[in-house]
Amino acid sequence: MKSGGRWSGLLWDLLAPQRRERIAPTLSGVLLIVLSLGIGMAAYNAANNILFITLSLLLACLVLSGVLSWFNFRKVTWQLDATPPFRAGQEAVIGVELHNHKRVLPTYGLWLEMVARPVDRWTPRKAESTVTARGVDVRAMIAKAAQVEARGQLPLRARIDPGASTRFEWTFQPSRRGVLRIELEAVGSLFPFGFLKKQRWAGAAVEVKVWPQPIDYLRVPGTAVSRLHGGERVARVGAGSDLLALRRYDLGDSHRLIHWKASARTGQLLVRQFAAESAGLFSVWVSAAAEPWVDDEQFETMLRLAASLAEDLLRADRLRAVAIDGGAWRAIRRVRDLDTWLDELALLAPRKETLPVKPAGGGRNLIVFAPQGARGVAAVCDGEIVATT
Amino acid sequence: MAKSWPQLEADELHQVRWLLGGALTLIAVSSVFYLNIDAWIAMGLATVSAIAFTLRPAWVARIPTWVHALAFPLIAAACAADLWITGEPLSALVRLNLLLLAYRSAVYRKRRDDLQGIVLGLFLVVVAGVLTVSIAFALQIVAFTAVALALLLVITLGDPAHATATAALTPGEVPRWARHVEWRKLLRRIRTTTDWRVVAAGGALFGGLVVVSGVLFLAIPRFQLENTFWLDRFAMKKAKTGFTETIRFGDVTEITTDNSVAVTVDVSDREKVPAHPYWRMLVLDEYRDGTFRLSALLRRDAFGGERVGVTVRGQRASSGDTWTFYLEPGISRHLPLLGPFAQVQFQEAQNHRWAPGLGVLALRDEPARMTAYRVEGMSTDAELPDRRLRTQLLERATRRGGQPSVWETLELSANDRALVRQALVDAAVSDEASPRERAARMGAWLQARHEYSLNPAVPGGAGDPIVRWLVSREAGHCELFAGSMVVMARVAGLPARVVTGFRGGSWNGFSNNFTLRNADAHAWCEIFDVESGRWVRFDPTPGSGAASEENLSGEESLSLRLDRSWSARLDSLRVFWYRRIVNFDQRTQIEALKTAKTWAEKTGASLREFFDELSATMRALLLAPWSAERIGRAGLFVVAVGACGWALRLGWRRWKDRLGRTSAKGEARVRAEAGRWLARVEPWCGSSRDAERIVSDLQRIRFGAKATWPDPTHTLREAKQLWRRRRKLTAPPRS
Repeated sequence: MKSGGRWSGLLWDLLAPQRRERIAPTLSGVLLIVLSLGIGMAAYNAANNILFITLSLLLACLVLSGVLSWFNFRKVTWQLDATPPFRAGQEAVIGVELHNHKRVLPTYGLWLEMVARPVDRWTPRKAESTVTARGVDVRAMIAKAAQVEARGQLPLRARIDPGASTRFEWTFQPSRRGVLRIELEAVGSLFPFGFLKKQRWAGAAVEVKVWPQPIDYLRVPGTAVSRLHGGERVARVGAGSDLLALRRYDLGDSHRLIHWKASARTGQLLVRQFAAESAGLFSVWVSAAAEPWVDDEQFETMLRLAASLAEDLLRADRLRAVAIDGGAWRAIRRVRDLDTWLDELALLAPRKETLPVKPAGGGRNLIVFAPQGARGVAAVCDGEIVATT
Repeated sequence: MAKSWPQLEADELHQVRWLLGGALTLIAVSSVFYLNIDAWIAMGLATVSAIAFTLRPAWVARIPTWVHALAFPLIAAACAADLWITGEPLSALVRLNLLLLAYRSAVYRKRRDDLQGIVLGLFLVVVAGVLTVSIAFALQIVAFTAVALALLLVITLGDPAHATATAALTPGEVPRWARHVEWRKLLRRIRTTTDWRVVAAGGALFGGLVVVSGVLFLAIPRFQLENTFWLDRFAMKKAKTGFTETIRFGDVTEITTDNSVAVTVDVSDREKVPAHPYWRMLVLDEYRDGTFRLSALLRRDAFGGERVGVTVRGQRASSGDTWTFYLEPGISRHLPLLGPFAQVQFQEAQNHRWAPGLGVLALRDEPARMTAYRVEGMSTDAELPDRRLRTQLLERATRRGGQPSVWETLELSANDRALVRQALVDAAVSDEASPRERAARMGAWLQARHEYSLNPAVPGGAGDPIVRWLVSREAGHCELFAGSMVVMARVAGLPARVVTGFRGGSWNGFSNNFTLRNADAHAWCEIFDVESGRWVRFDPTPGSGAASEENLSGEESLSLRLDRSWSARLDSLRVFWYRRIVNFDQRTQIEALKTAKTWAEKTGASLREFFDELSATMRALLLAPWSAERIGRAGLFVVAVGACGWALRLGWRRWKDRLGRTSAKGEARVRAEAGRWLARVEPWCGSSRDAERIVSDLQRIRFGAKATWPDPTHTLREAKQLWRRRRKLTAPPRS
């Protein structure tokens, strides 16, 4: 967002100040106003020009403060940079790029008001009146809303030189999975003298998906896992013997891998890529049915276990496919495939409808999840527990 | 990418903040020097504390903890004791303020402490300004504002959101920023981290602040509430020097050794200025034991009751001329006047007493600051009518008896009276002559017998000191001459009195005003002429007025008093301060507004006239027959205007480039210019190291990132010089 243009914009800003700007006096500002009032009263009472001079200087200081503050904000732009992944309970970093487009004057002493609010997509919103509600209830609701919000203030101690940029990083911890709206709510400044706290609505926001929080689980040893003789081919680059694809030769590639025929045909050096081979691949299926789970917390635990398990399997190169409810199986060939599934998990809400039908396919070693006791969750593969929380 | 300047670290910012806090304390303490308040110990403490701890911030940690624990109770107790002992609230408050500032200098200040320091300092500066009305206040308040704003700026830069909590220090712990402070290194760092354009913009903005405050000062509506300022009640009433109601011989002489300015007078009509102005302040009637004084009887009879107000009505009709007096503090509570007046207008309400018969206006208290008053319709005559005294004397003459007036009473021994009578005989003063003639003879006799000296010697012995001096041939000063003449006149049966005040003065050629210095203090006498019913001024002191100047008045007399020295130049600043700032009131404000309105109207009319004339001229030029010569001239004019415009445009562009205005357009222009010079000087690239460097610099400007550019102006100038030099010497080498 750009806060000012050329001279016409400048004039327009002066005539009609931008909306959603808030200016409030600080402690020193209040002190200055009280001093001005006191000195003004004394000056009128005594018709004393020394006091009138002092009053004029104090008022001029306020004017100068406003002008400098306005200069400071001029031609400053900002941009949010939220790079996934975001996991509940883990630190997330949001970048804010600030650029000073002024030609001569630097920008000093800004701070950024950041807020991260969960966007509740599955709970139907109900209009509530704050007029008829009791104050205690309203305050409790506000406190509850504030609890799930993460707020932060990023002060800029260094100046931004004319034409230069600077980057802030806001670190926070998402409390739960779901969609999180990250806003640069306002850019504020006490510059130059700290008399006035000026805040300008920034209006920059991004929505990110927060994956379930990773969970420590217990792997059950000795579990029989079905495996094929000679391994199973995986549509992923690896050290198997099946040809998967050709690619251009890169410096350092073994000469043995050069596919001479294809190279001769295309006129450029091409090398062979082989498919990965895995001894025991797993598929993970998650059902959103609310019925088996004691409460929402247990459902959340199930999602956490599913996400953690899937990530670990991918890391071990043993994840074949994933699915949710009756959706089609998603083959995991690259990290992005799992990310998409985790995005879906982030948004999954428990459903009270009838149990979905497990999709066809998925191969052997299908992992599903079942409650274990009142709080625990077990990952079950072909009827045997492979991991528990 | 713009040029990136290094920035001050957080510790360095803290050091700058500490330095500014110390400077602020020193400015505030310096304002107390101008106050007539005994606060030398507190001032010394605050000064030493501010200087020592500001320069060596690590010393603060050496102060024992118990000192901090006891500081505030001790300061509060000291203030209470001070108030109880002296009974002067303002002085006690100033001393308390100084002690608090001293203590604030000796602790590691947080933001709150700095704010307190600013408020305490502002209090001192404003109180000093209000009580002294000195021009030094203008400098102090501007300096104080600049430093205070710089301090607030540094505080904001160090903690932009005012949200950082300062870590608590353990006793004896020195904060990181205070451990190794090298002020010279810090100043060098400030210099390297500061862009001169930002400093220039800051300076311009501060200048703008002063201008805006000036405009606000002029524009703030004024009302006259006719109230007195409460601080006056607590101000000290100590006169550094002054005229009092009792003058011992030597008092006025002491004043004359002081050459400082006592009164400044603005005159509306120079023609009204007399050749020898006598500024009357005090009239003394009673003589006893070698001392002239204002008798209790006269004080009761002549002065009316005390009044409070801004206006004093006189008995004369207004003549339109106004005299504005600026009486410096510590001179007297009696106001200098040339004579009776129509009205005296004070700037603010004053407690005053007015004695119309004496022509004396007195304030209740000795002003501790400059007092301004405007006098309208003031008489400049050397004679003062007194009908009451005339009637009294005539009635007494008709009845042939009765009590003598206070102006005739003289407590002298018979021997002294005999000596004075002998003197009168020697002076050929006969009872038949008119009072004026008799007074003139007395004055002439005194001047013939005594010389003027500021170091008189009154002969010893018995009897009255004035009579002893009168009959001697010793030199004397104005008090002895005036006193002697009054004694002689009273012995001769003439009502007479001593008048003190100022004589003459200089005319400041820069600010066009009268300046009366303490050195102009004078005493003379007035003798009553029953026939005319007037007090007539006689000044028996030798050299009181050259005969050739007697008939001069107005501009001629002012030209003889003209002062264009350096001290007059400095005094003119003070006069400007008094006229335009201190004495600015509702009336002046309206006058200023009217002047501005008139100026705007006149300027508008002049512009209209100018454009009318211009259009008429253009019309005449266009309608005149066109010859080849005229067409040629018009063409030349157009070319000249175009050339000027082009030159201005070029200059503007270069200036913008030099300023480093980094627009994409400007950058492309610089690159293109570098490309042109590169094509010219590249053939000589291998001819010298200089040429290689210049070509390399040009290539960088032409093709490189802007952040890596050398100074384009300098490089282009070097390329131009190289090209000229090489072109003269040889043709470019062909590859």
